[in-house]
Amino acid sequence: MAENVLPEKGLSLYRKVRNALLGGLTAVAFVLAVTPLLAIIYVAYDRGKAALSLSFLTTLPGGFPVGIEGGIANGIVGSLILILIASLLSVPVGVWAGLYLWDQSHTPLAKATRLLSDLLLGVPSVIWGVVGFYVFSTNTGYGFHWGFSGLAAGLTLGFIMIPIVTRVTEQALRDVPRSYIEGALALGASRFQVVRGLAIPAAITGIGTGILLGVLNVLGQTAPLIFTNYYNTGIPKNLVGSNGSVGDLAMQIFIYIHEPSKGLHVKAMAAALVLTMIVLLLDMGIRLLAWGSRKYAQRMG
Amino acid sequence: MEPESPALPVPKIEVKNFSAFYGKTQALHNVDFTIYERKITAMIGPSGCGKSTFLRSLNRMNDFFLDFRVEGSATLDGEEIYGPAVNPVLIRQRVGMVFQKPNPFQKSIFENVAYGLRIQGVKSRSVLSDIVEKSLKAAALWDEVKDRLNGSAFSLSGGQQQRLCIARALAVEPEVILLDEPASALDPISTARIEELMQDLKDRYTIAIVTHNMQQAARVSDRTAFFLDGTLVEVNDTTKIFTNPEDPRTEDYITGRFG
Repeated sequence: MAENVLPEKGLSLYRKVRNALLGGLTAVAFVLAVTPLLAIIYVAYDRGKAALSLSFLTTLPGGFPVGIEGGIANGIVGSLILILIASLLSVPVGVWAGLYLWDQSHTPLAKATRLLSDLLLGVPSVIWGVVGFYVFSTNTGYGFHWGFSGLAAGLTLGFIMIPIVTRVTEQALRDVPRSYIEGALALGASRFQVVRGLAIPAAITGIGTGILLGVLNVLGQTAPLIFTNYYNTGIPKNLVGSNGSVGDLAMQIFIYIHEPSKGLHVKAMAAALVLTMIVLLLDMGIRLLAWGSRKYAQRMG
Repeated sequence: MEPESPALPVPKIEVKNFSAFYGKTQALHNVDFTIYERKITAMIGPSGCGKSTFLRSLNRMNDFFLDFRVEGSATLDGEEIYGPAVNPVLIRQRVGMVFQKPNPFQKSIFENVAYGLRIQGVKSRSVLSDIVEKSLKAAALWDEVKDRLNGSAFSLSGGQQQRLCIARALAVEPEVILLDEPASALDPISTARIEELMQDLKDRYTIAIVTHNMQQAARVSDRTAFFLDGTLVEVNDTTKIFTNPEDPRTEDYITGRFG
């Protein structure tokens, strides 16, 4: 045998070129992926900075056209009310359904539930809005005659959220390793004890992400609101009836940007920046909460 | 090997004409087999021979496979393991299990061992502390972890994690411990510690171990069963199996003619 049968150490030219090429593509993909976020923040800030101040967050719209003076307190409060109503409906239902789909995953009823839930994910939001209108809002509809109101809109948004929470909860539970579950069962734990004590804590980050995705979806919806709530320049005392509409940031942006008024366009972009910041804060808040509850579950039994 | 004790061994688990199925696939064919009290019984055989299925059938860990079913009889102290009124949770409290890969919970070392007691409703801190200490000592882990009981179980080495899983199983005071290839993911030193530990535990527990490693079966067990293609080919005293097997297939396997 010859002595130097092995090639020289170091990468071949082909591999060097390939590494550089793929590395470059990855970098381009990364830049393309984050550019929109930076663009949103930059454009919203650049176009809206003239309207930004602390009082913008704390005052109601006024002047003529309405909103040319004052701020977006109605939209902030209204959006939070809608998120709260939607979450009160969708988090318990969605998490419970996700648990069911995980635990009974192969039963016919679970398969049917999963299929229907996935179909709901694909329903366009304008259809949710129209059906919400007929069921919750209008006097000539099928059910509740609540008028254009926060409750009608909140529940409609909640129903939009349920399949999102369900799907992500089931997936998060599926990601819990089987060995982990078996370890507990082999110690004589019941199904319920395993779910409560181990599976949910292990999946809590994923479940939190699912709730967050739902909330973010709801925050950005305008089509369902057009039919079930529309808009309010003030803060309502009731959530049903003829004065039950709430403000909403997304609707506020939508309405302001349609007005032929430069001043309202500035306000719209300032509101867009606020909405984006609320989204980022909620994201961090949920992550922190999930992290904290996991720590808690580790310490306790 | 130790000489057989003069007293007759007491049957702990008796399996008669036992078959197991995953859907239409039959994994075990008419197994007749007795596991004796306070003995170590080893199950050997090539991959897919049914030894793990058999082990997991003994504490109903296969119940979670949707289309799994059994035929025949398996009894624990004379009571049918698959009887209609039997709660599998209670069977698993009496028949504990340690798995191939260490699977500690995402909790502290203390809480890992205390988990089995907590789910039974034990709340007293002093009772828990006592049992945790006792179990960790029995699993030969106490000296290594006593100063960091509140540390994460994941900070332990693989061998330590496996002994933690054994301590966790011991804490609920099972009568039988099933070990499913407990050392196959461990280094030789950790393996030796687990094997020593089994000898210590034998005085108080009935132990059944599945292993790929024939030397391990020969080293640790009193009785050895050889499985092939879902049937029990031969079960006998370990010395007998490894020196003078009755069935030519057993001899072929232990001499390495197939594996």
